[in-house]
Amino acid sequence: MSLHPGTGTAPVAADATAPVRDWLIAATAIVVSLIALYAVFMDNGNVIAATGEYLHEFSHDGRHLFGAPCH
Amino acid sequence: MSGNTSPYPVLPLLGRGLLAGGAAGLTTGLFGLLFAEPVMDRAIRLEEERSAGGGHDHAHEAEELFSRSTQYFGLVVTSVVVGLAVGVFFAVAYALLHRRSPVHERPWPRAMALAGAGFLALSLLPGLRYPAAPPGVGDGDTVSERQNLWLAALVIGVLGMVLAHLVRQRLAGRAAPVRQLAVTGVVVATLGVLFLLPGNPDEVLVPATLLWDFRVLSLASHAVLWATLGAVFGALGLRAAARAAEPAAAPAPAPAATSAG
Repeated sequence: MSLHPGTGTAPVAADATAPVRDWLIAATAIVVSLIALYAVFMDNGNVIAATGEYLHEFSHDGRHLFGAPCH
Repeated sequence: MSGNTSPYPVLPLLGRGLLAGGAAGLTTGLFGLLFAEPVMDRAIRLEEERSAGGGHDHAHEAEELFSRSTQYFGLVVTSVVVGLAVGVFFAVAYALLHRRSPVHERPWPRAMALAGAGFLALSLLPGLRYPAAPPGVGDGDTVSERQNLWLAALVIGVLGMVLAHLVRQRLAGRAAPVRQLAVTGVVVATLGVLFLLPGNPDEVLVPATLLWDFRVLSLASHAVLWATLGAVFGALGLRAAARAAEPAAAPAPAPAATSAG
């Protein structure tokens, strides 16, 4: 029951742009999350070249436990 | 998409998702450290014995990069990273699903329902098709094939739950048994579709008891992650709702306020 929707949204002028900006931030967060998950679950030492096998071996136990393919 | 109400608070939800995800990741990491690491140690010891008897020597190369204790730490870090990422997905999915309804409506059941759907989509259904493999299982030559299959399973799991949601919406006016059986049917059908994918090509050379223990622990870790995520997200939602209700009550005349401690 939001009886007073106005109380939390004082800057009325921002209404038009704030949602778009917020959704853009959310989209950025999604992309960053996907990159992080890729690094943790998918890297085999040959994709993110600079890390060699280190990233893979550091997240090794997590990969197995979460069921990500590993070797 | 400009709603009919004030802008939907995406960012507070995102903050809640990160907080809940971080807590869920840490809890899962500690759960894994406590219960799954002994099993993984057993698996690695067996792998070493096997390769000592002359198999391929991949295990040894891998072992030398990090000590086991560093890999224990890696498990917790990995869990927190996964928790944070899943928390972001969770928050955005929550915002998309409920953007047309009042922000503080039923935060607890909504969070728990979404956590349950996430568990089915990303953990249980893909996990039943491609169960987790302990260290020592997994051929380096098939890893990219297995990764493709695993990603396909995750995508199918998510699509299945989206379809279940659409079916539930479509049948909103029907009796509960009809609705619930239809949704269950979609979930079961999703599992059926997953089994149309090719199987895991790898040989599993570890004892069955070890394999079972590890797979149960893997699913349990997933369950801990989603349960903690849903509970913390829901609790934060309840707290936000309670706070939002306060300023509305404050300006009201005093006499009524004193009676209800």
